[in-house]
Amino acid sequence: MIFAEPIIAPGGDRFVVVYFGDDAAIELNFLALGLKAALAEAGLKGVVDTNPCYNSLVIEYDPDALDYDDLLRELRALAAALGPVDTLELSSRLAYLPAMYLDPWTKEAIEDYCKRVKPREFDPAFVARLNGLSDVKQLVRVHSGTEHWVISVCSLPGLPLLRPLDPRCLLTSPKYDPPRLWTPPNAICTGGMSTSIHTLRVPGGYNLIGRTPVPMWQATQALPIFKDSVVLLRAADRVKFVPIDLEEYHDIEARVNEGTYAFNVTNYQRFSVGAYRA
Amino acid sequence: MIEVLKPGLETTVQDYPGRKGCFGYGFAPSGPIDHWSFRLANLLVGNPVSAAGLECQFIGPTLRFGRDAVIALTGADMGATLDGTALPLWQSLTVYTGQTLVLGAARLGARGYIAIDGGIDTEPFLGSRATYSMAGVGGLDGGALKAGQHLPLGAPRRIAGRRVRAAARPSIATDRQWTIEVVPGPNDDWIDETGQRRFLESEWKLSARSNRVGFRLEGPEWSFADKAIHKAPEHGSNPSNTIDHGYPIGAINLCGQTPIILVNDTLTLGGFINPYTVISAAFWKLGQSRPNEIYRFKAVTVREAQALRREIDALCGEASLEPT
Repeated sequence: MIFAEPIIAPGGDRFVVVYFGDDAAIELNFLALGLKAALAEAGLKGVVDTNPCYNSLVIEYDPDALDYDDLLRELRALAAALGPVDTLELSSRLAYLPAMYLDPWTKEAIEDYCKRVKPREFDPAFVARLNGLSDVKQLVRVHSGTEHWVISVCSLPGLPLLRPLDPRCLLTSPKYDPPRLWTPPNAICTGGMSTSIHTLRVPGGYNLIGRTPVPMWQATQALPIFKDSVVLLRAADRVKFVPIDLEEYHDIEARVNEGTYAFNVTNYQRFSVGAYRA
Repeated sequence: MIEVLKPGLETTVQDYPGRKGCFGYGFAPSGPIDHWSFRLANLLVGNPVSAAGLECQFIGPTLRFGRDAVIALTGADMGATLDGTALPLWQSLTVYTGQTLVLGAARLGARGYIAIDGGIDTEPFLGSRATYSMAGVGGLDGGALKAGQHLPLGAPRRIAGRRVRAAARPSIATDRQWTIEVVPGPNDDWIDETGQRRFLESEWKLSARSNRVGFRLEGPEWSFADKAIHKAPEHGSNPSNTIDHGYPIGAINLCGQTPIILVNDTLTLGGFINPYTVISAAFWKLGQSRPNEIYRFKAVTVREAQALRREIDALCGEASLEPT
């Protein structure tokens, strides 16, 4: 449900959180990203950072430069000026990411969990079964058959939190309990109703379904795509996974390592919420 | 240049206020947890308060100086010596080329800070030298110091013979008890009235399972408001679960029944509620408290929290220094 007026709650003396609704309807993220863009456009002095998610936007501010009441007033005014969600247009790029589904590296992580923590069904088969799909091949077709919307880039450097724009391709699954001890970097995983690409070797709870040979961030900025930014994706971008096999995986990985890989990312386009919802 | 002879338990290069404006890339800010002591150390040696220095957690490093320098030690008392002679805290001191600075285990407090005139001159990443170990960026090679490494230094400034007035120093608790100010929210309405009262009236013990990502607390059970129990299924099944949302720094993040204060290297987002947020003016207390010490939380308003922040900021200026 979209709140008639967003709820703004304090997070200590230098953060506020704006909630646009109480569920995870994608429209709430569109509103959060609309407010993020409007704040940037307004150039409000004292706004330090913004951090969007499913139905919310965190704003960090400098209380010496921006009075709390003024911030609340500005946020309410900017949120009201967004208008109905269908009128929103967001700047968005489309990134085609090579994805090896059912790859050997995430398989190894799952097998290691089964051996050291507790046995579990193979993640892709588990997700396929829970979502009424016939087999893992259909899982690959469904997951790669839609553009995924970048809800946020968060949690770890460059990590995109994704959900499918085609609601027929929505996959839901419970997270690992207890969590996995490690995840191969660049693992493509799904949990709750999201997909993410884990950018570091960290513990994790999402179900592993594949791996991409391309990095989501690069501190050295050696690849041309990272020249202007250390991270690949931004909230409001879109991702289309392109299935590849092991040979292509190794080929792309080699080109990434030698610094010659060319990402396939479009320029910024206007993403019309109204056209999407029509 | 400074040579690291022994790294200490977890000594990192930090600057103030850390890597700001990078939540949207997935980077925590990092920076010193006790930013009050850190800034005073920089002021003492004539650096801008933002300059990069060292944060030493629990056990300090052993360092050999490759140039004459002026240093200052603030925060936790780690029994520092220079070539065997005891050094005072809260003063700017001259160190000569070839001398060895030894910091030991913290005797009072938890985090010692070392500022060196000219600051530490490692390569900045996204505008900051702060170490963010989880991502392996900032600082020296992206992590805590290791024996044999060399810390590059900026141009010397040579301001010795100053100390911080007693009234301008943080006063580290000797009775192992701390009062930590919090602002209720963003999700205090997910806790029922009894639970809110219990949080503010109980003692909470700082767990040894704490680090620069989160400070874990042990204490009584939490009880929840109706909206935490009857909610859309997307929120998850546990009362403390919510739809993923961004985390403010300082948030008291409730994972099931375990509260974790999210500090400088936190994950920027997740699926648990944040009923309270520790204010920035109380972070020095987090930085100087040790495992098994006791926190009591005191609710303040946003305005009160901002006034406390201004008080500390005002103390981090030249007026707090006097000649020795």
